[in-house]
Amino acid sequence: MDFPSSLPPSLFMTGPLGLSDVPDVSFMCSWRDALTLPESPPQASENGAPHLAKGLLWEPDTPGPLPLLPPGPDPWDPGLTARDLLFRGGYHFRRQPRAVLDVTEQLSQFLWDHGDIAFAPLGKLMLENFKLEGAQALYFLIHFCPWAYLSYRQRRFSILGGPVLATSLARLLGELLHEELAARWEQLLLDDAFTGGALAWVPGRMPGAGQLVYPAGGALDRLSRGPDFQKVSLTPGSEPRVLGDPGHIQLRGPVRQVVTRTVQGEGKAHRHLRPLLTDLLPDHNPDLLCPSALLAVRSDYHCALWKVGKPGQPAPLQVLQVEKGATGISLSPHLPGELTVCSRSGAVCLWNPQDGPSPPHGWPVSPRLRQVYKDPETLVFRDPSPWRWADFTAHPRVLTVGDRTGVKLVDTQGPPGCGLLLFRGGAEASCQKGERVLLTQYLGDCSPESLQPTFHLVCTQFSLYLVDERLPLVPLLKWNHGLSSTPVVAQLLPPPRPGCPRPLLLAGQAGELQLLHITGEGASTPRLAGPPQSLPSRSNSLSAFPLLEPKSQWRLQERLSAPTIGLAATVLPSASTPVLSLFQLSAAGDVFHQRLHLQADPRPDSPAPTASWTPRATSRCSRWLKTLLEVPLTPPMWAAPTFSHRRLLGSFESREVEGKVPEGLRTAMAEGRLLQHRDLGLLPTREQPPAPEPGPEDELSERLEAAWEGQVAAWWERRQGGSSGPGKQPKRHKRRTQLSSTFSSLSGRLDLSDATSPPRSPDRTVPEARPQPPVTPPSQELTQGPWAEGIPSERQQTLRDYMAELPLQGDTPGGASAPSSQTSSIRGTSSRQQTLRDCTVKLQLRGDTAGGASMPSSQTSSVRATLSRQQAAILSGSQPLRKKPRMGF
Amino acid sequence: MSDFSEELVRPTTEDEQGETCVLSGTGMCFPWLQKHIETVGKTLVATGGKREKDFAQTTSACLSFIQEALLKHQWQQAAEYMHSYLQILEDSDSNKRQGAPEIIWRLGSEILYYHPKSSLETFNTFADRMKNIGVMNYLKISLQHALYLLHHGLLEDANRNLSQAETWRYGEKSSSKEVLINLIQAYKGLLQYYTWSKKKMELSQLDEDDYAYNTASQNMLNHSWKTSINLCALIQIPGVWDPFVKSYVEMLEFYGDQDGAREVLTNYAYDEKFPSNPNAHIYLYGFLKRERAPREKLISVLKLSIEKNMILHRKKEEHHKLGLEVLFGVLDFAGCTKNITAWKYLAKYLRQTLMGSHLAWVQEEWNSRKNWWPRFHFSYFWAKSDWKDDKTLACEKALVAGILLGKGCRYFRYVKKQDHQVLQKKIKQMKKSVKKYSIVNPGL
Repeated sequence: MDFPSSLPPSLFMTGPLGLSDVPDVSFMCSWRDALTLPESPPQASENGAPHLAKGLLWEPDTPGPLPLLPPGPDPWDPGLTARDLLFRGGYHFRRQPRAVLDVTEQLSQFLWDHGDIAFAPLGKLMLENFKLEGAQALYFLIHFCPWAYLSYRQRRFSILGGPVLATSLARLLGELLHEELAARWEQLLLDDAFTGGALAWVPGRMPGAGQLVYPAGGALDRLSRGPDFQKVSLTPGSEPRVLGDPGHIQLRGPVRQVVTRTVQGEGKAHRHLRPLLTDLLPDHNPDLLCPSALLAVRSDYHCALWKVGKPGQPAPLQVLQVEKGATGISLSPHLPGELTVCSRSGAVCLWNPQDGPSPPHGWPVSPRLRQVYKDPETLVFRDPSPWRWADFTAHPRVLTVGDRTGVKLVDTQGPPGCGLLLFRGGAEASCQKGERVLLTQYLGDCSPESLQPTFHLVCTQFSLYLVDERLPLVPLLKWNHGLSSTPVVAQLLPPPRPGCPRPLLLAGQAGELQLLHITGEGASTPRLAGPPQSLPSRSNSLSAFPLLEPKSQWRLQERLSAPTIGLAATVLPSASTPVLSLFQLSAAGDVFHQRLHLQADPRPDSPAPTASWTPRATSRCSRWLKTLLEVPLTPPMWAAPTFSHRRLLGSFESREVEGKVPEGLRTAMAEGRLLQHRDLGLLPTREQPPAPEPGPEDELSERLEAAWEGQVAAWWERRQGGSSGPGKQPKRHKRRTQLSSTFSSLSGRLDLSDATSPPRSPDRTVPEARPQPPVTPPSQELTQGPWAEGIPSERQQTLRDYMAELPLQGDTPGGASAPSSQTSSIRGTSSRQQTLRDCTVKLQLRGDTAGGASMPSSQTSSVRATLSRQQAAILSGSQPLRKKPRMGF
Repeated sequence: MSDFSEELVRPTTEDEQGETCVLSGTGMCFPWLQKHIETVGKTLVATGGKREKDFAQTTSACLSFIQEALLKHQWQQAAEYMHSYLQILEDSDSNKRQGAPEIIWRLGSEILYYHPKSSLETFNTFADRMKNIGVMNYLKISLQHALYLLHHGLLEDANRNLSQAETWRYGEKSSSKEVLINLIQAYKGLLQYYTWSKKKMELSQLDEDDYAYNTASQNMLNHSWKTSINLCALIQIPGVWDPFVKSYVEMLEFYGDQDGAREVLTNYAYDEKFPSNPNAHIYLYGFLKRERAPREKLISVLKLSIEKNMILHRKKEEHHKLGLEVLFGVLDFAGCTKNITAWKYLAKYLRQTLMGSHLAWVQEEWNSRKNWWPRFHFSYFWAKSDWKDDKTLACEKALVAGILLGKGCRYFRYVKKQDHQVLQKKIKQMKKSVKKYSIVNPGL
């Protein structure tokens, strides 16, 4: 335990968080951390570049983690999101955005949905307060259905009770509701339940074999278990193999944290783990030769300890009930089976569940549960959070006790309450305003040879600090992690190779993973070796899954981005390149696995090779997805009553509305915009559009008729000779260019140049209603010339094809009848609406296929085309109905 | 107060987070709150400041691209994004515009530090430009630039840089600026110390009667005078200044200013405003030892170390109690469990103390440890592993275990049973000692 002979310079300022007068001397970039002062005068040499492992990089084998086990049979619901709680209306852009909780909309909906809840309990609640003579009457009154007729008496009561009930009740209820919502919102912003992580890796006897322990089931209340926990075999060259099907231990509450510690130091790969429990077993127990582990589990109100032996079943040792709620549990790296348990009440207990009857030597047995610290107040400044954390230190009798404001070293043998602050949320660590401790961890529990056993990790929402318990209050390393969610788990791994820096993994709740390389051998200060690295998260795996229809795709996406609640990693030393095996547990209960290998020859000039999906990986994902989609969706907690107005509106929407006036009015109403003349179809200065001239459509029907009769060739001949005349035979490609020039001229006229690309334009600007020219002003008639001149049928086919490809624009009819207003409406349509329409088209496609089959099939158009056409007909209510039969349906 | 100091004092992370940091009702700040709000806001049409909003969103997206590329070690890509990010200097929001240079410097220097194609020249150009764009960051950037040069072995360039920064003045005086200037001066002093110690080396190779000796020593004296001026200002400010204190004291000692050196070291070790730095005590101890200070004084300086025990040992009886205390204390720590010196001394001390029939001293120490030392030090597993790794250690530990726990102790029994040619005599001796002194059954 040598202390670094020279510490990096740092300013020491006492004071509160975000103290304004401190220049930040602890530089937070990774390279500046590498620049610790040279011990001796540096030699001025040409190649005096810092001896820094520049290319230290763990390369993922696949672009993202892969599911290790099939998804559980229970449906998973992502729960409350910010969208559900925040105020949506009047979003103004501000530099300092504010979260405003909203209840109005939700509450009114709730009252609509739950009339029973809204009205009945009020009466029941108040009943107790009415021990008057007329209590019986009141009872009846209150139990009256609110929608029944009102008697005279009741009316009078309404008038009387209105002011009283309305104000005081609203205040009371409002307070309660606000409290609840605020609590939910706080929880959404910061969920500390899973701090420490709920996934653990119990190494087996052979390196690369082990068991995963994690909660499963919809409520995360089953600890995976068989005769053993989920056994996994890892080989450096291939994917992990899952052995056997684990059973489970059913618990009575959700598992929040799982901690393990190997009891035996027999396995060669895990020699760094300190032996535990050996003294508690009789001498020469055969079990001693097999690695066994202790397994501590924290639930909301219970903590439990198991012993996982190799041959037998996991044996429960003891369960502890924590009345106020447990916030953290940790297992001692020094003494077998000693634990610390923290409670929301601010108490920290040392727990020795295994102290059974006195051992042979007659050592005095310490009480099983001993409170070593209690303070309902926080350490440095006042913070409302009851979160507490405790861990061990290099001295087995000294614990760290942490809360949101700092971390304290507490001597369990000293007088209660005494101790020394190890980390202070304040100017000492140049903390910024609003910074809070979210995770603390003792890092000294593995191999003592590469890093001092006195280091502690402290994570806040901004930074990561490394503190040496011999130099309290002055962090030796500070790094801005930049995670966009709460840091949940941190794990320091043994060095992959002797002399290599040690990887430190940090996982954020949103699934982000970061890997830092920490070096600091012997008497040198710990520092970052090379720039930190981000590892692929579960949402990076989306590309490995086959493309799905939107609803399932969304479900998959949601599942992949479920919060991370556990992380376990193990380094497999292999001859050529060390392999890092990484397991992640999500709140949906999925275990994902990722393999990384240390870049063999780090050459900064070569671009980092990008991993790609192997066919095996994608097939594994497909299988997983198939199982996932078989899992039924969460049944809704309640079904909204059918008298919801929105639903009624919805059913109206699908119905075809006749006539332009109600259609326009209805859209205006639905969109809540100003009613305009064109909505009503009132064009006072213009005459009603005359019936379209017998134009191309007639040709089409003629052609169709001919086709039905099998004389299309003759019809063609006739037509060639008739209308076109010799020498005027148009060529197809020429027509196309003509068409596209039309689009460009059209788009130019409509000022659509920014919004439309050529293939998109036809559906916006060239509806089939086009051949109704009289409405267009004379100037436009010039550009529309080609249309009026009888479009050949093939061209229509091209158009139809376009339309089949693209959904129809909603406001086409408006454009057809009054093109001057078209510009603004088209430009105003956002892409969101576009996609929406895409969806409707697709959905309608599915729904109407049966209907489509019954239609007389036409050779000229596909079902898609018909449908879009049909839709167009629906949307353009002003179109003469007789057009439809002409189109063949 | 000038905006300079306001700029300096702003916590840097806040700048990097942009405006994503919002205080909640509990006073806590959530960098991810913005994301939540955006998910709601996105579905709505923004009602005001559309252009500003768009630009803010684009810049924050660009920033996250850069950060992502950095975390993936894609330096080339990060550089490309950085190129676009410079647009933020044109932001209409003055707050952002002011914070921008610092972000650009932090990210840009990181990219240039790791980029395979970046060179010293590129870095220098970038640093010089950034110093003048963010005038507010002049001192900070200068200091970091100097450190960069120092690590590339360019001492002279670093020195020039620091000198420039030292004389730089802008706006009103503020304490934060003063600290930075002190730091810059101290680093400059350190550079001067490097040359000084080089000269000292040269001097030691010269003959005292040589003519050159005089000029050289005169030269050195000049240097040290300048250096001490530079160093002494900073080390008055509370902080961890190990390299500065060390070099300052070395120079003071060289010129015979023992009192000055002692004062500096005592202040560094005992001033309450300073953090409790073990090195401060080690330096003071080293100084006192060089000065041949009385042992009592040395003992008082050392808190917990084996060296302390070695001094104590020489003082015989009267310090045995303190020695035991120190040894037990040292062996409490997880990092010292295999320290053979400590175990050797403990075994020796226990024997001597018990020989001198001071059983109470041993019991005093042992009482607080008897319920956990057996599991911590003397488990069956440790017996096996210690014996395998270091037999001498195992023997010393077995002796201590035997004395403290009696001969029934598992550790003792395990070592006792081992048959070893070389250590046979030692094990025999150990058995005898345990029989004689064990505190568990003193009657036997």
